[in-house]
Amino acid sequence: MKKKTLAMIQPYVWLLPSVILMVSMILIPIVSVFKISFSDVGRSGIVRGLNGVQNYLDIFAEPTFWHTLQNTVIWTVVVVGVSTVFGFVLAMVLNQEFKGRKFVRAVVIFPWATALIIQSVIWKYIINADYGSLNILLKKIGLIDGFVNWTKTAGSMFGWECWVGIFVTFPFVTFCVLSGLQSIDGSLYESASVDGASFWQKLFKITLPLVAPSLTVSTVLNIIYVFNSFPIVWTISKGAPADQTHTLVTYLYQLSFTDGKGGHAAAVSVIGFVILAFCASIYMILSLRGEEES
Amino acid sequence: MKKKIISVLLCTAMVGTMLAGCGSKDNGGGSEGGSEGGDSGKVALDVIISQYGNYTQDWWTEFEKTFEEANKDIDLNIEIVSWNDIYSVVNTRISSNEQPDILNISGFADYVADDLLMPAEEYVSDELKANFVQSFWESNDMDGTVWALPILASCRSLFCNVDLLKEAGIENPPATWDEVLAACKAVQDKFGKDIVPWGLDISTDEGQAAFSYYTWNFGGGYVDDDGNWALNSKENVEAVEYIKKLIDSGYCNSAPFTDTRYPLQDAFSAGTLAMMIGPMNMVAADSKVNYVAADLPGEKTALGVCDQLMVFKDEKADDARTAAITKFFDAFYECETYSNYMVYEGFLPATQDASDNLAANAEKYTVGGSDATGSSEYFKTFCAVLPNCKFYPMQKAEWMDVRNGVIDVEQQVCEGTVGAQEALDKLQESVAK
Repeated sequence: MKKKTLAMIQPYVWLLPSVILMVSMILIPIVSVFKISFSDVGRSGIVRGLNGVQNYLDIFAEPTFWHTLQNTVIWTVVVVGVSTVFGFVLAMVLNQEFKGRKFVRAVVIFPWATALIIQSVIWKYIINADYGSLNILLKKIGLIDGFVNWTKTAGSMFGWECWVGIFVTFPFVTFCVLSGLQSIDGSLYESASVDGASFWQKLFKITLPLVAPSLTVSTVLNIIYVFNSFPIVWTISKGAPADQTHTLVTYLYQLSFTDGKGGHAAAVSVIGFVILAFCASIYMILSLRGEEES
Repeated sequence: MKKKIISVLLCTAMVGTMLAGCGSKDNGGGSEGGSEGGDSGKVALDVIISQYGNYTQDWWTEFEKTFEEANKDIDLNIEIVSWNDIYSVVNTRISSNEQPDILNISGFADYVADDLLMPAEEYVSDELKANFVQSFWESNDMDGTVWALPILASCRSLFCNVDLLKEAGIENPPATWDEVLAACKAVQDKFGKDIVPWGLDISTDEGQAAFSYYTWNFGGGYVDDDGNWALNSKENVEAVEYIKKLIDSGYCNSAPFTDTRYPLQDAFSAGTLAMMIGPMNMVAADSKVNYVAADLPGEKTALGVCDQLMVFKDEKADDARTAAITKFFDAFYECETYSNYMVYEGFLPATQDASDNLAANAEKYTVGGSDATGSSEYFKTFCAVLPNCKFYPMQKAEWMDVRNGVIDVEQQVCEGTVGAQEALDKLQESVAK
């Protein structure tokens, strides 16, 4: 009897540390952020009491919020989309046999392995109009006469931020896809070639279906990482000019730590959480459906 | 079986330890702000000081030692916090009801609004009160109560590279805004893209400083004569349009929306920027640039920046705490100690006796982290400017909204998305709500 009870309890005891960690580090902060988003918070951090949905109404009345939301969608779609396509193509190339393949593979991982903040600072200096190395290089090879201001408008500034996002994201896709490609049995391609299949037919009928699980994982993870990415936008522009280049994460950081509006920041945080939870749910539904079908 | 029992026990112990770690810290003899310090019977004072330089900690450690030796009944706990973290550190401590007794920071209106501060004048003797430079003392007055003490100050001047201007045919620093445009044009014509004529920072870092330089010296500003917000005045519109004109004419650094003053100061020190408005200690010590610090063009109104010391409320506090805090201020503002700290950190003093002392004897004191001594001439020049400086209206509760609002206005107008009048009207309307 004792043995049986111990055997029943044991798994739960093992799980308890993880559960406590998750509750204290994830669940309690989430509940706390939800509560703060419905509270009146003073600039000095004092919670003066609940104020219903006032923080949300204030946020929705701000044109900056809607522009930021639009930026966040563009940022996520462009960075994840382009990184996925570019990463996939590069993985196909790196899967071929050629001299120096190992070296190229090692080089490709650098942008991903380097800290985001370092990448962002480096790119900020590269594109600087007064002393940036891009201008110096282009001038030396004679492509430009005078220095060009690459970040003159909000659009161009945001475009460069997207580029940096792509630059640091594509290696992850490349290596996810590469691992998928290496697991494909070469005999499939040989059989297809014998049957007279073209490159595109092999790509769409063999390669893509077989690397789809790797692509799905990298895309879902990238959506979460890129959506929540803070260092690139904050280091390069801090949302300038005139809050035109914010994403939700930098916007809520500014609200909280620069503007001292903790309640509004919590509301934006909850909105971001809901959007990501929605995306994650779609992924869960699709993958569960896939499992059932298989 | 034994192994299993041991594993379960270990696991339980781990959970127990974690729970203990997550629990509240109630150490009985802890030094709650201003309370009796455990068994020793000392009054404990928690002090948070902003980090002004790499050696701030060293100076305050020495001060703490000297102070405690002279005041055996006081236990001073000084914590140095960097400017990057100080607001979040203080807010976190406030929200967990662990605010310090004394805080050194910039801005106090939000703490007053949340009823967290004690009037600073209650901790200052008449003698010390009379010793503060009047404009500094008054800058901390909110509705007739002085809530904070000025700890140090700096002021902003127009810095000009004399050699570059002379080469471009400009003999004297520009005294009017039209002369600024003329000087910028002369520099641009002479040096092309190699030299940036005018440094401008309208970034979120300190764009409000730029707003102050231009609006005050076009005759406008933040408030009218009655102290009410007057952000959309004719003069302010003119000033913001002038900033746009500087950018559109190609006279400024190419990224004024994101360039903070630090790279601009570096560029000035390196001799690649001809003119900029900046703090009095902005030129690097090893710079070879031949420069002059002149009055700001137009109305010649300088921006004074002044950080404060403030005292937080403590419901459990008694007279012993009040006496301890008063002793702390007396010790800190003592002429020799305070003069020493000003030279050490490279700022200007907020008291009259230290100003007089440093104008004559700055060489007695050393700069933090080096053997270099202070310069009496330097203090004489800049201390004389201080009484005429204007300050941000930090004592107004809406200041933070206005600060962020004027930066938005500058950026929107200079980007060309909206006109100056419309942007300032909108800001005025939102602040006056």
